[in-house]
Amino acid sequence: MLNRRHLLAGAAAGAALSFPVFAFGQAQATDKRLLIIILRGGMDGLSAVAPIGDPAYAGLRGRLALSASGDNAVLPLDATFGLHKNLAKMHALYGAGELLPIHACATAYRERSHFDAQNVLETGAVMPFARTEGWLNKALGALPQARPEMGMALSAQAPLILRGSTPVATWSPSALPDVQTDTIDRLLSLYEARDPALANALQSAMSANGIAMNAGADDMRGGARALAPLARIAARFLKSDDGPVAAVMEMGGWDTHANQGIEQGPLARALTSLDDGLDAFKQEMGPAWTNTVVVIATEFGRTAAPNGANGTDHGTGAAAFLAGGAVRGGRVLADWPGLTQRALHEGRDLRPTTDLRAVFKGVLADHLRVSSTALERDAFPDSGAAHAMQGLLRG
Amino acid sequence: MPDLSLAALAAHRFGFGPRPGELRTIAGDPRGWVKAQIGRQTELPAPIAALPPAEDDLLAFGRWLTRRRLNGGNAGRIEERAERQGVSQEDLQRLSVEEDFVENFRDRATRAVAARVEAALISERPVHERLVHFWSNHFTVSAAKPGAVALPPSFEKEAIRPHVGGRFTDMLLASTKHPGMIVYLDNWLSIGPNSRIGQNPNRGRRLPGGGRPTGINENLGREILELHTLGVNGGYTQADVQALAAIITGWTYERPRLRDLVSDQIATRTGAQLFEFDVNAHEPGAKTLLGRTYAQDGIAQGEAALGDLARHASTARFIATKLCRHYIADDPPPAAVARVERAFRESDGNLRATMEALVDSPEAWATPFAKFKRPEEYALTVLRAANLSALPPGAGIAALTAMGQRPYSAPGPDGWADHADAWLTADLVMKRIEFAQAYAERIARADVDPVEIGQACLGPLMSDETTTAIRRAESPQQGFALLFGAPEMQRR
Repeated sequence: MLNRRHLLAGAAAGAALSFPVFAFGQAQATDKRLLIIILRGGMDGLSAVAPIGDPAYAGLRGRLALSASGDNAVLPLDATFGLHKNLAKMHALYGAGELLPIHACATAYRERSHFDAQNVLETGAVMPFARTEGWLNKALGALPQARPEMGMALSAQAPLILRGSTPVATWSPSALPDVQTDTIDRLLSLYEARDPALANALQSAMSANGIAMNAGADDMRGGARALAPLARIAARFLKSDDGPVAAVMEMGGWDTHANQGIEQGPLARALTSLDDGLDAFKQEMGPAWTNTVVVIATEFGRTAAPNGANGTDHGTGAAAFLAGGAVRGGRVLADWPGLTQRALHEGRDLRPTTDLRAVFKGVLADHLRVSSTALERDAFPDSGAAHAMQGLLRG
Repeated sequence: MPDLSLAALAAHRFGFGPRPGELRTIAGDPRGWVKAQIGRQTELPAPIAALPPAEDDLLAFGRWLTRRRLNGGNAGRIEERAERQGVSQEDLQRLSVEEDFVENFRDRATRAVAARVEAALISERPVHERLVHFWSNHFTVSAAKPGAVALPPSFEKEAIRPHVGGRFTDMLLASTKHPGMIVYLDNWLSIGPNSRIGQNPNRGRRLPGGGRPTGINENLGREILELHTLGVNGGYTQADVQALAAIITGWTYERPRLRDLVSDQIATRTGAQLFEFDVNAHEPGAKTLLGRTYAQDGIAQGEAALGDLARHASTARFIATKLCRHYIADDPPPAAVARVERAFRESDGNLRATMEALVDSPEAWATPFAKFKRPEEYALTVLRAANLSALPPGAGIAALTAMGQRPYSAPGPDGWADHADAWLTADLVMKRIEFAQAYAERIARADVDPVEIGQACLGPLMSDETTTAIRRAESPQQGFALLFGAPEMQRR
């Protein structure tokens, strides 16, 4: 057993959940849990968390403007901001002090390519493609390795944020028939003899399947488009005894260049799915929700004004959310720059005033107790100016 | 002397693996076998020839969109339009009850994926088919974007295939002018602010959802620089993105009108025939891109700019790196990249000469199993080994989707990833095994020996461990599952 583990430790894809927990000795497992939901495509923060109290907002947004009352009314947050009405369950979390909307935030990236922006969001670097490992992988690697896989992706492939030398698990629903255990065991032996990377991956998949099947994954045969079913499975992984400390989910559908709509349309649908997904996750977590932080972030915001195709183009300042029983919510975190022409970044985008890296570092430091050395050196190099934000969490 | 090891390497690395018996043919001259397939194709594979042209895709999508509007409380505006265009109420009625989206598009998509797979399975030029897949991924048009859902197959057929083994400039132009790309990256919505429509938006055609486009949409301009030509580190700025986007304003396509949607005429026009330069949307005046000023009028401006981009040193570097990453290793050997880059430059982007330089590189014939096959390549390897000539409809596509690579549906304009990190994950490895098992059950017969099938597919690359594992299998089904799931089937 020991030999096999050592053999696997050197390979790329990661060790396996199926190793008995005692094998990992003294490392004390934290009871804190972290879920990250990456919204790919650039969520329109000015629609999700609408600054209806900003005097320039209605004029600038034109056909896409939400308002305090009437057909396009928001769910009120404070004097300046309101949530899009499809985020009703998140609004209830806000009321319970468990949702913290963050506005006018951005990574260090200031151009407008999805791929570069997502790369920066996930590597924690200053420049796109400067690093090949994700910040969450580095942060998890700095913790006592109390789990064979400290991180998990709810997707067939680990997204960049989770890629790196710290082993992580992956799982997604299958449309294909199950394979006999005996055949899998024989293939595992073959992989162990010939291909350690494949062996590692297969070991990990075998144990993940065990947990998922207990969580009703059978109902998801054929895959699921909505976020909620997968969010429930994520919760099952996070709260299982030898499950991961952190999990990552991804959600597309935010790149609303045309006809993005207000009450209906692609943006409204995406927001509903997010709202339902977060709620499903909370319900499934049960009491463990108290020790949980959910980070919801996107690669950039969108242009402040509509683009003429009734959509918005790639912008800069964005909105993000922290949610969970461990979050000190019920307020909006924003150093609001305003929406006058002069206030806009390059005359077109919401100006970012909050560094997302400061938020991520704050969560990692106060929630998972990642050391400041690991944060500055490994997870977010060259982010010294973006101090880990304090006071994001309760107590 | 025939070299079965090199033959197997050639068949797996440059093609999709051999069909039974093919290895012996290749073994006579593996390098020559590859090189004979990298030039232009004079005849389309039969399943591809049968695919409908872009016009048919656009009409199908237009019909569905109109039907949804007619039945979704937006009928008034369409009825007005019908009256203007002389479309009868009867025709409109007929349009509103046609087959629904799922029937229409799922069947279309199924047929197109099946054609692509079948072409790769039956082809005697699998190396050429691999190149089609490579270039179609380089210029990604994906059904993942709802508005482009019908277009990737005709884009691949009309804009990519004719230029594989031809000139890169021609492929770049064909791609940028195809409705598939114009829709996928929004260029039909891009309006020069000082163009006639920009100055008076009411002159522009309405969008399907109402309103009229105004302003420049940078999407296609950006991706041409970042993904199609120079590469993300190719030395351009946001100002260059804006300049290229302005240069190609007005590059659009003939959008079907209501009267076309109800017409019984058979759609025959390709994307190139539907391309339209709309001078009223084109931003007038000279523009400066990468330090060079383009003062041409009209479409000549964009053609000149794309021609220069195709010839740019960064483009040669970027294409050479991608080709070597695809065929040789995730971290491509610099010497091979340099040779391929030089061939691209010196041949003025001749893709046959470029590929020849790659095939002539010693690195391309070293180290078997340096690359982990992508799911589609892997599935094709299994199906060719099993001597199947078609993907079972439905089930086959579901399997490719489950393994993470539904053809024509890449997640973004950067296409499918080309490194093992993205594909060698716990979940995807398990799904490959599920696929291996499903196909083992489909083809296993008591009188067919999986070891023989394995040797015909892998030759000397088949390991002793794999042979032993198959010999010890409890049933022919399990034997095939072990063969299809073996490491050497998944790498090249």
